[in-house]
Amino acid sequence: MQLHLDGSNSIMAPSESVYSLLTDAAFLATTLPDAEDVHVLDKTSLEATIKVRVAVVSSKLRIKMAVTATQPPTNASLAVTGTGSGSNMQISSSFELSGSSPTTMKWMADADITGVMAGLGSTLLKGFASKKVAEIFEGITKAIEERAK
Amino acid sequence: MEALFDASVQEVSRLLGLTDAEKSVLEDADAAASELVTSEFESYVQRKYNDQVPVILRRHNLMGVPIASKYGGRGARQLVQALFMERMGQVGMGVVTFADVHQCLGSLVIQDWGNEEQRSRYLPRAATGDVVLAYGLTEPEAGSDPGSLKTTFVRDGSSYRLTGSKYLISNGSVATNMIVFAYPAEGGKGPSAFVVDTKQKGFEVDMRLEEKVGLFTSDTSLLSLTDLAVPKEDLLGVEGKGFSVAYSALLNGRIGIGSGCVGVMEDCLNQVRERATSRVQHGKPIGKHQLIQKQVAFIESSLESCRWLVYRAALKKDEYEKDISNLALRGEADRLSAVAKYMSSRSAFESADRALQIFGGFGYSIMSPVAKHFLDTRVARIYEGTDEIMELKIASSVLGREFEAYR
Repeated sequence: MQLHLDGSNSIMAPSESVYSLLTDAAFLATTLPDAEDVHVLDKTSLEATIKVRVAVVSSKLRIKMAVTATQPPTNASLAVTGTGSGSNMQISSSFELSGSSPTTMKWMADADITGVMAGLGSTLLKGFASKKVAEIFEGITKAIEERAK
Repeated sequence: MEALFDASVQEVSRLLGLTDAEKSVLEDADAAASELVTSEFESYVQRKYNDQVPVILRRHNLMGVPIASKYGGRGARQLVQALFMERMGQVGMGVVTFADVHQCLGSLVIQDWGNEEQRSRYLPRAATGDVVLAYGLTEPEAGSDPGSLKTTFVRDGSSYRLTGSKYLISNGSVATNMIVFAYPAEGGKGPSAFVVDTKQKGFEVDMRLEEKVGLFTSDTSLLSLTDLAVPKEDLLGVEGKGFSVAYSALLNGRIGIGSGCVGVMEDCLNQVRERATSRVQHGKPIGKHQLIQKQVAFIESSLESCRWLVYRAALKKDEYEKDISNLALRGEADRLSAVAKYMSSRSAFESADRALQIFGGFGYSIMSPVAKHFLDTRVARIYEGTDEIMELKIASSVLGREFEAYR
């Protein structure tokens, strides 16, 4: 099952520091919601166990996240693979920055989900995923703005 | 807009014409439906009433879709109401049931049968959602035969006093007001219709029926009326002519349920398209197996045949609304609404069953998007006229009134 999400966030910080933090696995590790057992593997990759909750249905996914391509100072791609509780997911995402203080971050993500979670259908998952992703980016935005102060 | 709904709206607009205001109602319906998906799922798996339905409909100004604009509603004709219900049906029959009862069985009845004072008192608040309506016809001993109603009323000065039980009442415990049908205790005349205030002393919710086969997100209640005072201003229509009120409500309601079932088939089609193209078994997507394609073909054919049946019934009702003294037109609208409801509810149930089959084991969980439709559409073959009552109505409309089997 495939899911496409996109959006944009405005971050009150210089674009260079936004870019630097968004491609820094150690920083991203601090912004993951409901994460446990987080290991930063190197500058661009990490592993973690995250709790995914869809209504009363919760599952744990072991994920690997890696920055796969960078075109400083504006573009980068991230890949996430996850597995657990009978589900598998592969996410390809990218972002593009423009402006500075505020920096506009346009992002998109394509997810391929199989197994139990796929059975919920994209109509439902898109609603939950949009909400979750919005929370994640809100968290990232706040964290970057805190660092920029 | 959701793709299948957008296709419906575009085609209806091209062939029949939709005004900008009507398109705006349908855009709002699409936005509300998208917003309803998560709360509907959360409530469904917890098997509880979805209290977000009136909240979200209200936020999108959709509580009074068929209520005339002079009373604060959107003034939708039956065809637009049908399209609205179609989009709600994609989310689920729980949403359809709430909207159908509040709008088609409640608001439209007050609009059609109420006097100006009643319309002005109830409809603006029904359009905002401050008033939520239920429809109290069914009783423990009166289902398909409303002639068996046991609820009675007596006159008491400037009021009536009602006593009896109402059973399987959708919105029953969440409504602020309910259309209630009761016979005079002294006998003689036919039943009368009343608008009852559910906060009045003498109105009690005996039971919220939560152990249903499906339709978990819709409120269904057993209600008691004990010497319940109803001011004479809340008699609806003419005393003794309650059946006319009841049957006209059901005509509206049946088109609403048929439309909701079309939406269910659309969602079944969306879900099986996704499942059949992404689920891999025996080395290929299951959609490449011919027996899966057979199920997909059934759902698609059912959807296309029922869609226009429902629109035709809605158009006939709109035609009748412009010429309400024309009994032949009313009979046609009644016949077509029965055909639309009969075929759509059966087809939606069968489509949901086939969609569940495509989902395999996962389809047997209420977490799956199609199990909900399978469980919920079963009641569409029962409420607002059972399959059997629809068959009798349809057959007698062909053979003539002298062949009415329930006479």
